[in-house]
Amino acid sequence: MAARLSIARAVCQISSRRTCAAFRPVRAQWQQPYSRSFSCSIAARAKKYTEDHEWIELSSDGKTGTIGISTYAANALGDVVYVELPTSDLEVKAGEAIGAVESVKSASDINSPVSGKIIEGNSVLEEKPGTINNDPEGSGWIAKIEVADSGEMERLMDEGGYKEFTEGLE
Amino acid sequence: MSPSRGLDCLHVRLLRATLRTAIRRYSAWTEAVANPQDKVQSYISRSRDPYLNLSIEHYLLQKSPPDSTILFLYTNRPCVVIGRNQNPWLEVNLALLQAAKDSPGKPTEPPALGSVDLVRRRSGGGTVFHDEGNVNWSVICPPATFTRDKHAEMVVRALRALGVDRARVNERHDIVLDQGVRKGAVDEEDTHRTPYTSEASSHKPRPLKVSGSAYKLTRTRALHHGTCLLSSPNLNIIPDYLHSPARPYIKARGVESVSSPVGNIGIEIEAFKSSVQEHYQKMYYPADANGHTSTVVGEEQLDVADIREGYEELKSLDWTFLQTPQFTFSSHPTEEDDRRRPDLPVAARVYLKVRFGSITEEFVALADTSSLAVDSGHKLRLDLQDQKLHEIHDWTAVVDKASGPHNARAGSALGAWLTSMFPRNEAGVMNVGISGALAPGVSTVHDSSGGLQSIQAALPATLEKAFWV
Repeated sequence: MAARLSIARAVCQISSRRTCAAFRPVRAQWQQPYSRSFSCSIAARAKKYTEDHEWIELSSDGKTGTIGISTYAANALGDVVYVELPTSDLEVKAGEAIGAVESVKSASDINSPVSGKIIEGNSVLEEKPGTINNDPEGSGWIAKIEVADSGEMERLMDEGGYKEFTEGLE
Repeated sequence: MSPSRGLDCLHVRLLRATLRTAIRRYSAWTEAVANPQDKVQSYISRSRDPYLNLSIEHYLLQKSPPDSTILFLYTNRPCVVIGRNQNPWLEVNLALLQAAKDSPGKPTEPPALGSVDLVRRRSGGGTVFHDEGNVNWSVICPPATFTRDKHAEMVVRALRALGVDRARVNERHDIVLDQGVRKGAVDEEDTHRTPYTSEASSHKPRPLKVSGSAYKLTRTRALHHGTCLLSSPNLNIIPDYLHSPARPYIKARGVESVSSPVGNIGIEIEAFKSSVQEHYQKMYYPADANGHTSTVVGEEQLDVADIREGYEELKSLDWTFLQTPQFTFSSHPTEEDDRRRPDLPVAARVYLKVRFGSITEEFVALADTSSLAVDSGHKLRLDLQDQKLHEIHDWTAVVDKASGPHNARAGSALGAWLTSMFPRNEAGVMNVGISGALAPGVSTVHDSSGGLQSIQAALPATLEKAFWV
């Protein structure tokens, strides 16, 4: 464990301070069964959140990310009745809409937390849009994206930061 | 140099000058919309074009400063507006819309509804019928201060100021008029209760819906728009436009409309607009002694490139039809949709799967008896794969070609039935005016209703379905 941490620390020294800060709330992940080989990328891979209530989590190779909406957002939206999914190969910049969800007469844009190219939309949502309400940060994911610049992850909030952010909204 | 050339030069100069003025005017308008100093803005449209009004509204949503609040009021000519994720074949009687387009200018009995546009809007929610007795109000604000009720509450205050004391916001974020007798005093500030609100959950007589809400939320902005039914002369015939003959056969993803009984409020349109503006001002800039000022917009906004682009998109058949969530059409009960179906006029079986407006699966068969085996030798190959459903105009020809001379009679009956299910529709194509034509299918409704011309002020007019979900 100590070795892993030190590798992570080494990586932190060559990346920005924000990445190091992001490393802290990963505690929860250490407690889960875990088989990733390079802990140095854990900080970068850790789930990040935007102020628009999307989350993104990178794959183990750090090249692709899974995007969804937060539990907080899913609760605020109410019952999701339709999800407009992005098509594969859609190129987006961070903050641009990749689709929309409809709930309670509202069409709400879903924006990409990072720039890149959409690889896949979650087809489960076509038939069962309510999956977003039941498991927004798991099986209710919305799209997978080929991340253009994983450095953009650093501008996002970590789990703790996002929790504080949403508490500030209430 | 001939005299005419001199005149041409003059014309060109005049034209250039006019264009320059026009460009200055519109760039001044676009700059005013985006002005970060202008935190509270108000607009009113003189256009009756639903595609234009929705495009101006969308422009305001996208271009106004993120921390500003915008009010926009507009009235559309008769049109059916479906929600962003709805199915026009399921929600709308397309044949009725097309019939009016096919006979423009035909002299008819008043009140002639004439051409009715079909529009897919960008916000969520259900299908609604608009006409000139309806005022649309729209408020755009930052998402941080947005709630689904706050601007419906503002409109309730505007209505109550005009003496409409039965108006309140209901649990679906719509505005209703309570019916029945006065039950007792309530807090006058409470926009969710009136002295007529019934405690009983059954609410009898049911409150009448007069305004329906729909929303569009983007990263930086929240839009809430609603109808407000003041004096529509068409309440009796609205159900005809919103009743699709294909409904019993369609199983659709996406959003289905919810029926509500609706009614006219029966107040003057101008009085309503002024009252909404006044209450908007009270809410957002009460200190301004100059009163409410609003900018008039209209056809000239089409000179703004983004508005023109949005307008062309809304009018396109691709937007109206290909944005439809996946659905199946089945003449008989299926595993996923086991409803009993109305009998077909011909012994046949039809199954179509339609994804984003294009046919992805077909099964069509003819038989002499109604007990039709799926592996019947009468299966027809219509070759509909990948065809856009709204582009199939001649179902009779399509079926005839596949069924051959032996089945000519059954084939043409099936073709006629499919035409009635999926009528040709040119929604989105501009047409002339709103006067004159009346769809043939509507005339009986007019005849039976009698007093359509008199506006039903504040009277209940129960509809089987209407107005935003």
